[in-house]
Amino acid sequence: MTTPHYAMVIDLNTCVGCNACMAACSMENQTPVWDNKWRTYVHDMEIGAGTENEVKRRFFPRLCNHCDNPPCMSVCPTGATYKLDNGIVLVNDEMCMGCRACAMACPYDARYDVTYDDLDKGTEFYGELHFRTSPSVDKCSFCAHRVMKGLKPACVETCVGSARLFGDMNDPKDEVAKIVASGVAKPLMAHLGTRPNVYYISDLERNV
Amino acid sequence: MEGMFYSTQELWTWWIAIYLFLGGLGGALVVVSGLTNMYVKEHKELVLWANISSLIMLSVGSFMLFLHLLHHIAVINVLNPMVLINKPDAWISWGTQFIVWMMVWSFVYTYPYLVDSKFWRGIPIIGGLIGLFGWVGNLSLRFHKLIGWLAVINGIGTVLYTGLLLQSFPAVALWHNPGVPLLFIVSAFSTAMAFLLIALYVFIKNPEDHGLKVLFERSDVILIGIELLIIFVFFQFTTYGLESARYTAKILWNDMGWIIGFVGFGLLIPFIIEFRGVTKGWKGSAPIVLAAILVLSGGYLLRHYFMYAGVYERPYPAINSTHHLQMDGSVQTQ
Repeated sequence: MTTPHYAMVIDLNTCVGCNACMAACSMENQTPVWDNKWRTYVHDMEIGAGTENEVKRRFFPRLCNHCDNPPCMSVCPTGATYKLDNGIVLVNDEMCMGCRACAMACPYDARYDVTYDDLDKGTEFYGELHFRTSPSVDKCSFCAHRVMKGLKPACVETCVGSARLFGDMNDPKDEVAKIVASGVAKPLMAHLGTRPNVYYISDLERNV
Repeated sequence: MEGMFYSTQELWTWWIAIYLFLGGLGGALVVVSGLTNMYVKEHKELVLWANISSLIMLSVGSFMLFLHLLHHIAVINVLNPMVLINKPDAWISWGTQFIVWMMVWSFVYTYPYLVDSKFWRGIPIIGGLIGLFGWVGNLSLRFHKLIGWLAVINGIGTVLYTGLLLQSFPAVALWHNPGVPLLFIVSAFSTAMAFLLIALYVFIKNPEDHGLKVLFERSDVILIGIELLIIFVFFQFTTYGLESARYTAKILWNDMGWIIGFVGFGLLIPFIIEFRGVTKGWKGSAPIVLAAILVLSGGYLLRHYFMYAGVYERPYPAINSTHHLQMDGSVQTQ
């Protein structure tokens, strides 16, 4: 049995912008939402120009792209950012010294600070279940702790429009692998050589 | 997914620019003074000025970096030399080790001169401590050239690292290109020459140093000339380059601080003053000292603007950035 290689497909046609993914992620991973710091975020954008019928509203979910060549990992001086064999890029909070080189290197703006202040507020906000103990430069983990139990990431599990699909690229029968192989889903800024594992199905063809 | 967004960053700002400036200058001072002392002219005072200044600069720069860390205790992970085996791909790992070992070896190299220095021995407490560890000076003299080369090699590494650190961020066209390390190397050595000229003209004031002053002035003229050429190359690269580079061009070439402050007062005017000094000479030392001060100011401005003008290109706006760039050069603030 081959090691899985996890990836996500996001369909911009079916995201309704309910932000349930943001809520589910922040509860699952205890992110400092009071400082507008999210592991995943849904942008509410307008595309097109002209009359109101010609302008479309686009919801654009974003998260760490769990790159195969993650620049955040290569610049990390302590080894706090590391990659599992299954493709998931993780952060060891204890080892992270918070130099923010990863945030500078990330083309996807996926990293954010967790400060001492955030740790204090986290204890107030998340109560006795608060598990963060060290400041770090945090990011999405594809909910690795859930995936290892055979569950889907919290954002995928909660998505009402099935706009987020999570699967194994090494399994040709997996829906995600099939969509990526079809070419309909494309990664963001692939020209940078990061080899991202989050793919987007564009909503433009429907709108033209 | 055609619409792209352009923004600068607010994570590494003026304090990183100061760190990069002091790192480059401090590293180059150790290299120039070490090689001068070993192969051009033995000069204890020059080594004292260069290496003690470098030690202070690197201490200040590193402390500023340390203050801005989120998790201070975890810095132990990069201070451990094993980091080079665990994380050889990270330039901060190399840079930390280069800086630490450059400070150690340059201090040991300088120690015999500290022991002989009336000024340093005359300072209360410090003078006593220097005498207490006099054996370090004796040991240093036995292996002086080897220790000098260890300091020089780590100094070269420190100078090189400041540019390679920026180059390792692939998302920003201004930074992710081979011109940045070259520019920072040339700038570091130019500022080191300027610093040593100030030391020689203002503080050391030894008439026997005429030859050394001429050497440093000529070297600085050549370095400033090369820096001007590299800046011209960057003008071409940003103006006619990738989209994010074009946004950088809009920032830099619409900013009088960059055009007049850095290119004008930081490069062109000191180049003219020093070129005149090399070809026809000056009666007094004031013009060269003025040029050297301008070169040092330019060295900081270069890094300051490089940090502020790095532009990210993304298919969505940056979440926590308040500045979003428009192609007309204006900045939209959230």
